[in-house]
This record gives sequence, structure tokens and C-alpha cells, in this order.
Amino acid sequence: MPERIVELEQVEKDYGQGAAALTVLKGVSLVIERGEFVAIVGASGSGKTTLMNILGCLDRPTRGAYRLDGHDVSKLNDFGLSRVRNQRIGFVFQSFNLIPQLTVVENVEVPLLYSRWPRRDRRRRCLELLEAVGLSHRLNHHPTQLSGGECQRVAVARALVNEPALLLADEPTGNLDSRNGEEVMRIFGELHAAGRTIVLVTHNPEIAQALPRTVEMRDGLVLRERRAACEVAN
Amino acid sequence: MAAWLGFVAEIVVLGLHNLLRNKLRSLLTMLGMIFGVGSVIAMLSVGAGARHQILASIGELGVRNIIVNSIRPPQEKKGDESESWAERYGLTFRDRGLIEETCSSVERVLPVNVTKKRVWYGSSRVEGSVLGVLPEHMALFGMTVGRGRPLSELDERAAAHVCVIRSSLVRELGVLRDPLGMSLSVGSFSFEVVGVLEDARFQSHTRKALAIDDRAQEIYIPYSTSMRTFGTLSVVERAGQSEKSIVELDQLIVIAKTSELVFPTSRILSSILDSLHKRRDWEIVIPLELLQQSEKTQAVFNIVMVLIAAISLVVGGIGIANIMLATITERTREIGVRRALGATRRDVVLQFLIETAVIGLIGGLIGCLFGLGVIELLVRFTGWTALVEPQFIAASLGISAAVAVLSGIYPARRAAQLDPIAALRNE
Repeated sequence: MPERIVELEQVEKDYGQGAAALTVLKGVSLVIERGEFVAIVGASGSGKTTLMNILGCLDRPTRGAYRLDGHDVSKLNDFGLSRVRNQRIGFVFQSFNLIPQLTVVENVEVPLLYSRWPRRDRRRRCLELLEAVGLSHRLNHHPTQLSGGECQRVAVARALVNEPALLLADEPTGNLDSRNGEEVMRIFGELHAAGRTIVLVTHNPEIAQALPRTVEMRDGLVLRERRAACEVAN
Repeated sequence: MAAWLGFVAEIVVLGLHNLLRNKLRSLLTMLGMIFGVGSVIAMLSVGAGARHQILASIGELGVRNIIVNSIRPPQEKKGDESESWAERYGLTFRDRGLIEETCSSVERVLPVNVTKKRVWYGSSRVEGSVLGVLPEHMALFGMTVGRGRPLSELDERAAAHVCVIRSSLVRELGVLRDPLGMSLSVGSFSFEVVGVLEDARFQSHTRKALAIDDRAQEIYIPYSTSMRTFGTLSVVERAGQSEKSIVELDQLIVIAKTSELVFPTSRILSSILDSLHKRRDWEIVIPLELLQQSEKTQAVFNIVMVLIAAISLVVGGIGIANIMLATITERTREIGVRRALGATRRDVVLQFLIETAVIGLIGGLIGCLFGLGVIELLVRFTGWTALVEPQFIAASLGISAAVAVLSGIYPARRAAQLDPIAALRNE
């Protein structure tokens, strides 16, 4: 098992073509090892969303290399990227992005549907995860019947259902009140403790401060990194 | 494969959920489909019904038979003929003789003598069409005697006063007792009922071909009896005046030796009759021709119906495509989420195609019910015959699913081409 989950080498990203091209990432190199819990911070326009999209295989770098979990994913086509997203990445979004017409358990099942798991195994796996995030009593509710905190916990269960190598969270507490936000962060803490690799994009300096490692972006470049002392000692 | 089927099943269920969530919109989406499929079913069934009726009629009339009817020629200006006390027209005994002698392709010629008489039983009365026929006549037209016996050679030779009637006559006369052996008054003569036919009546095409009056009841008596008692003179009371006419032979049934000889024989017959008759007081009916004629009329009807069905199906397809495009705009976020969670473009295309196929199939099913309703009404109010065959329903369902899938291709591809990042950002 490779120890480097994420390996970015001089990754650049342009939007548009030719003279009108706008370079949003200007050579980002970043290594994230297994089990790390990293915050990516930066003002809007700093390129952190683009970096997030590339990390999540929603987008491809224009130049540079990206190895995820030991596989080069920078040259994959749309089909390949879809498979990688399905197998190796778990997304948690700011606005939860649950599918409204599906029940809680069906929402968690969606990634497994695309990896063609048999129905019975799928159900079992989803029940386990929903139990872990404390939502066993809400299985057949629809997202509109849940609170924001509950929705985000469903989304976390969904992100984990395919045993991803990398968990990506984009402002996961942005739409939550502080109590629910803390609850979600506590779950992330537990996942980190269990050895998950997590990358979290946030505006909130308090949250970033609490994490072992912070990567700060500005103008398409990594401005600086900070590692907590205990983490370095590790 | 099993996993893939499971995936499809899942999407079908999802599609059904989406349909049920917005019932009115789903119904409106399907409307074009419903009308299209309904008219396809109705068209096919009415066409099949007409064909079936014609074929049944040909079965009754026999493929080897040619029917020659005497017809009253159009009234001419007052001429020398009107001076005579009765109008004389139609086939003659001489025609029959000539046909029998000269046509080598003819196996047999059966004469029919028709007389209009009132039929009485006690105080109840019906209009009767009394047909004097030879014994083989009934078997030739597939008439089976349900009770009693058919007319026999002995009846013919003895010119017996016996008759065979249809069960509908028994009903119309209000006879409660066993009709066998009872005696009917036909005109001023009395006839004994020896047999009752099974069927209530002939197919309508058959009645037309055999020139059987729709309002009168048929009564079959031996040909010899008919000639002796009623003769060739018939008197019809009309508007206070009695119209008298003399027709030697009301009808000739000419049986060709083989079915291939039917058309040549009919040409010979018509040239013989042409040379013997100054006026057009005869007609030739060929059962096989009946089929061709009705197919011609049917063809025009079919073209119109196919056009209507095609237009409704195209409109239905456009309706589905339109709604699917709207649905995709509405569900852009969902598509983005599914893409982020690992759905490939193919998965997205599949999902939307299956959803449209489900719409098409359900629309097709409702359309089938609608079509069956239309057929029911048509049959009830126009008296047409319709024949719904199971393969029509299968075909309509297939067509509707195919139209739906075709109209779903463009929207589904649009959905699949969406950029996942942009789709996720969509509010």
C-alpha cells in the first residue's frame, strides 16, 4: 500500500484557450500521506476550489502530474475519472447535495449502485455506516425531513460507503449552526483517529487551526504550510 | 450481468418514483403517446375485424361460387313495356340452359326463386323472404340445421309443403312451443316446419351478396314447391298500388369446377348475359372480388389512420423530449451529484433513457386501455366489427417504448454531457 495518497507535482490549471487563457493554478506541489488530516485555506480566488476539483478528480490538471493512491490520474478520460471518483474518493459538500427524491438509506447507496454492488450487500453496508453516524432511526426519511446536521451526517456516511482512499470535504460546516458543525467536526476527528486520509477546505480559521496540518493558498500557489508540533513528532 | 440487471431495475423503480411524484405532469407528458397508441390499436383492430368479417363471409359464400342476381333495371320512360300488366326482367330459364350447355368450367347451376310473402303464425306476422332452393343449396352456403332435418331430394320431387327456418324467425313470431312440426301460413299456403337453422343470420356481406332483404326473415322451401305455388309472378303493394313483376329466375348460383376457374367463368357468364339481355337487369357477385373491393376501401382508411397514428406518436415523442429537457434542467444538481459519486456518462444516459422508456411503456399501457375503450364505442355505435389480437397490444407497447426511447436520446445525451463541476454549482 502506497504511503503517499496524494502526490501533486507542479500542477497547473488554465481556464480558456490561447491568449484569453486564465491560469488559476500556477504550479502546486503537494504531498499528503496516508492518515493525514489537512485543511486547505485561502481567500476566494486563491485557487483552492480548483485545487479541490483536481484532487477530487472532477477536473484534470492542464500541466503537471497527479498521483492518487499510487495511480497517475492526470491523463484519464471522463470514464476513467468517473471510476476513480467512485472507487477512491468520498465527497462531503457544503450544501450536503443529497438527492431529494431518495430516502436516507438510498442516498447512501448511490456510490455502490455505480460500482454495481448486489442489493443485499449494499443494504448491509449502508446500515452499518448510518449506525456509525447515529442515524439508524432515520433510514427511510427523506432529506427534507432531516435537520442540516443530520443531512451532513448522511453525506459523510455516503462519502465513506465505498471505502475511499481520500475523503474530501468542501466547507462541510459552512451551512450548519455551531453545535451541528462541532458534531460533524467530531465525526471527522474520529475518522482521522481511525486512520482516514481527509482533506478539508474551509474559510473558518478556527477549524483550520485545530487541524494537524494547514495548507494556505494564494494566487494559485501554496503560500505556506503549517504543521502542528505533535504531528511532526509523529 | 446480474449486477447490471439489478442496476437497471433500480433505475426503473427510481423512474416510477419520479413519475408518481408529479402525476399531472406525467399524464400530460404521456398524452400524445396515449392518443397515438390508442389510435394504432383501434386502427389495427378495426382493420382486422373487417378482414375477419370478409373472410367469414367468403367462407359462407364459398370460393368456387359465382352468384348471379336478377336486379330491377332503372325505370325507363313510359314505353311499350309499361303497357303490359307486369314488368318482366331478370334472368330467364333460357339463360340457365345456355350457361349449363356452353360453359365447360361450370360444375353445377342452382336456381333460386325468391318470393316476398307475409308469414303468419296464429295472430303474429312477419315479413318473409321465401327462398325456393334445391336440396344442395343449404350445404353449399354452410347452413347447418340445428334441429330437425334439411330439405331433401324427396321434398323436391314431391314438391312438399315443408320449410326450414332460422331460429330468429321462431323468436320473432313469439313461438313458445317446439317449432318442429308446427305449421306456418306463408301467403295463403300452409307449410310444415321440418328444420331450424343454427345461426340467427348470415354475415352482412353475405346478405348483400345473396341479395337477402335485411328486414325480412328467410324461409327455405323446395324449389319445385316454390315454382308451383308462387310461380314467377310477384306482387308488391307499394303506396296503395300493386306493382307486379315477373322474374323467371331470381338468382342463379353458378359453381365453378375449381377456384382458379372462378374469374374466367365469371367473364364468360357476363359475355353470355350481355348478348342475351338488352338491359342491365342482372349482376354478378364473386365472393373473392368482395375481398379485393373491401381491401381497397380498407387501404384508404388504413393510410389515413396510419398518418393520424404517426402524427400523434411524433407529437407524443416531442412532448416527452420536451419534458425530459425540462426535467434535466430541473435535476442538473442531481446529475452533478451522481457524476461526483462516480456515475459515468453511460450511467447517466442509461438512467434517463430508462426513465423515458418507463414513461413510454406506461403511456402505451394507458393508450391501449384508451384504444380498447374507443373500439368498444365504435363497435357499439357504428356496428363495425373489431378484432383485438394480442400481438396488436404487444406491437403498440413496443412502438410506444421505442418512440419514447428515441425522443429520450437527445435529452439524455445533454444530461450526460453536463460538466459535473458546473452541475454541482447549479442552484
